[in-house]
Amino acid sequence: MVNFSDLNFIFRFLPVFLIAFYLTPVRFRTWTLLFGSLLFYAVGDLRMFPALLAAVVVNYLFAKAQSGEKSKSMLFFILAIDAGMLIEFKILGQYVDSSLLPIGISFYIFKMISYQMDVYRGKYSQDASFVDVAAYFTMFPQVVSGPIMRYERYSENSMLREKTSPGQIAESIEDGLRFFVAGLAMKVLLADHLAMLWRDIGTIGYESISTPLAWLGAVTYSLELYFDFWGYSLMASGIGVMIGFPFITNFDHPYGSGSVSEFYRRWHVTLGSWFRDYIYIPLGGSRKGQFRTVINLLVVWLITGFWHGITPNFIIWGLVLGLIIVCERLFVLKKLPAPVSKFAGKFNVLVLIPLTWVVFAISDFDMLGCYFSRLFPFTGSGISVNRGDFFKNIGIYWTVLLPSLILLIPRVYDFWVNRRNRVVFNIIWIILFWACVYSLAGAAGNPFMYFRF
Amino acid sequence: MKILKKCPILVGIVVITIALSIVSFIFKDTVYAGYADKYESGDIPLLALALKGATDEVFPWSNASQEALLPQDMQPDEPDASTQQEESVTDTETPGDQPEPEEAAYISGDDVSEDSISGDSEDITYEFTEVDDDYFTDALFIGDSRTVGLSEYCEPLDTRATFYAKISLTIFDVFKKEFIKTDEGRIGLEEALTQNQYGKIYIMLGLNEIGTGDSEYFKNAYAEVIDKIRELQPDAIIYIQGIMHVTAHKSDVDKNFNNEKINVRNAAISELADNKNVFYIDMNEAVDDEGGNLEEGLSFDDIHLKASSYERWYEFLLHNAIVR
Repeated sequence: MVNFSDLNFIFRFLPVFLIAFYLTPVRFRTWTLLFGSLLFYAVGDLRMFPALLAAVVVNYLFAKAQSGEKSKSMLFFILAIDAGMLIEFKILGQYVDSSLLPIGISFYIFKMISYQMDVYRGKYSQDASFVDVAAYFTMFPQVVSGPIMRYERYSENSMLREKTSPGQIAESIEDGLRFFVAGLAMKVLLADHLAMLWRDIGTIGYESISTPLAWLGAVTYSLELYFDFWGYSLMASGIGVMIGFPFITNFDHPYGSGSVSEFYRRWHVTLGSWFRDYIYIPLGGSRKGQFRTVINLLVVWLITGFWHGITPNFIIWGLVLGLIIVCERLFVLKKLPAPVSKFAGKFNVLVLIPLTWVVFAISDFDMLGCYFSRLFPFTGSGISVNRGDFFKNIGIYWTVLLPSLILLIPRVYDFWVNRRNRVVFNIIWIILFWACVYSLAGAAGNPFMYFRF
Repeated sequence: MKILKKCPILVGIVVITIALSIVSFIFKDTVYAGYADKYESGDIPLLALALKGATDEVFPWSNASQEALLPQDMQPDEPDASTQQEESVTDTETPGDQPEPEEAAYISGDDVSEDSISGDSEDITYEFTEVDDDYFTDALFIGDSRTVGLSEYCEPLDTRATFYAKISLTIFDVFKKEFIKTDEGRIGLEEALTQNQYGKIYIMLGLNEIGTGDSEYFKNAYAEVIDKIRELQPDAIIYIQGIMHVTAHKSDVDKNFNNEKINVRNAAISELADNKNVFYIDMNEAVDDEGGNLEEGLSFDDIHLKASSYERWYEFLLHNAIVR
């Protein structure tokens, strides 16, 4: 049920929660949000539920203790507890049993770390109440995979503080629903089907795919990841809007970027800005000279790699991206003439990024090497390759690939956003919603890959 | 009206949700009986019954009895068998050995006599021998996704033999679906076998339907198919290929797709061989590890051979052929 594209979430949990939330008097609405979120989490991962509760209580107490004099040692202490908890569970989950990794732990811990540092920096003038802090940490639209909303955005929710008219409530729900359905469609109709092509390529065996199919695979996996996660983020933000929160932008057309560094400012925006504000800048950012900047960038990307998984491919993935970004910063965007650097930046986004996703996708080292030897067939021609495999798969999957590629164009999505309450879009959205539900009812969808990060 | 103006999408979703729920509720014990236990166990919301039904082309206006998966032309000849068929479909509480309660239940048709495949009564025994590539020029392969893979990744076969294979094909629908592509469109197996004659016919089916019915029921359906093929292709050597195993990784955790079940079914269909016209061959010996599971290294998804592994299957066929 902790999957937004699960029929039980859509038809059971969400409507019941919304009704309960808006029937609760404003004064107690935050409690409804908190209890609803705890219930949501407990259903998803009862065994690790106590870990969430303990983290919430401890973080609340430490933040409260910082309300008067700020103590640096106390900040370090709580940060060590939070980071230690995250690292410990990640290691347990990796080396002992994946069920020991609590659902969404990275995301709630990241929220806690940001909250502690912001409190220490004196960002919030008023002490927050327990229920607000707890609801912020655990709120169900974000607890599983983000977005990592900051506390100041949480406080913007007027549904939790002021009396609102039924008209406003209806508008919020309707608008949130628009984003939710858009995200659901990306996830169910695009990402889940792209995943099938990626799986089919695995079934053939990487040593036996033709080079065109290998490139199609890189594109397919990149698109799958994008629509899986963009779709998820839209669903999460849409649910947030339904209950009065501001819309949180987590994907800002990354493939429209002009460089890899820009790509990662626009991909998983809340994670990127989290790394910037709470790791890169505290390390000195770019203010301590070129050498330190390079080191800081590589540290951030090494941590990003580790965060995604403790296997060599993720470390390589993070370091390669760090290196590309360093190169861009020191050389490509600075030293080259403008048209060349512009081309290089675009090339990096549209060609190198999909290749880095291949590194991200294949955790087995030999298989990864094998895949690259098919992408760049200099060493041999593969084993039992069927030359027709590319067109065969295009023939099957073009109905998914084509809309996915069209949606990469920023203007397409923006066109909808700016006209989203037009009648024609309302009708299309109802159809999209039922197409998704029909697809979900027919086949069990595969769980979202960022689930246990 | 005001609410419709303010929340058109919400209204659209709620109204349709209510409508589908009502339909699901009304037909929950009749048309949708096959899915009802998933709803009752809390796995899916009520309205999903109607949608799940639609996926399987089961609609409220469908006659429940027509939803038997057995094609008409394959139903046993015995007069009382068809009535059994009808009764069994609406029956959700299936006895003991029915593995998948959510799927439509069956009671196997009356026994098809095991000796129903009668060849010439001459007492010749045939031995499996080695042949060369050209043995397959008049061969036909019928199968599911695994045979599709064989056609795509075994060049010596693909260039010689004919393939009537389709992903998710089962023994129950092999004569029912129009799955064979020709220049004039898609045709069914019966038509295809009427138009063309083959010297050898290889069949590997049975994995997709492993959760359906019991092995006796499967065997009977298989026997029907063999009989019909014999009728249409009296001169062909028919090879029943044992279902290929899955890897231990899959077999150990899956309640249906496991090698224990596959072996039971293989044992059942191996009895259909008369060793005169119909032969049973089991290619698992070419791909199994010592534990009797598909070797992990040969498969990526635990079910299909990787492209580079089809060679083993082909080698097995080259070494286990009948020459008459």
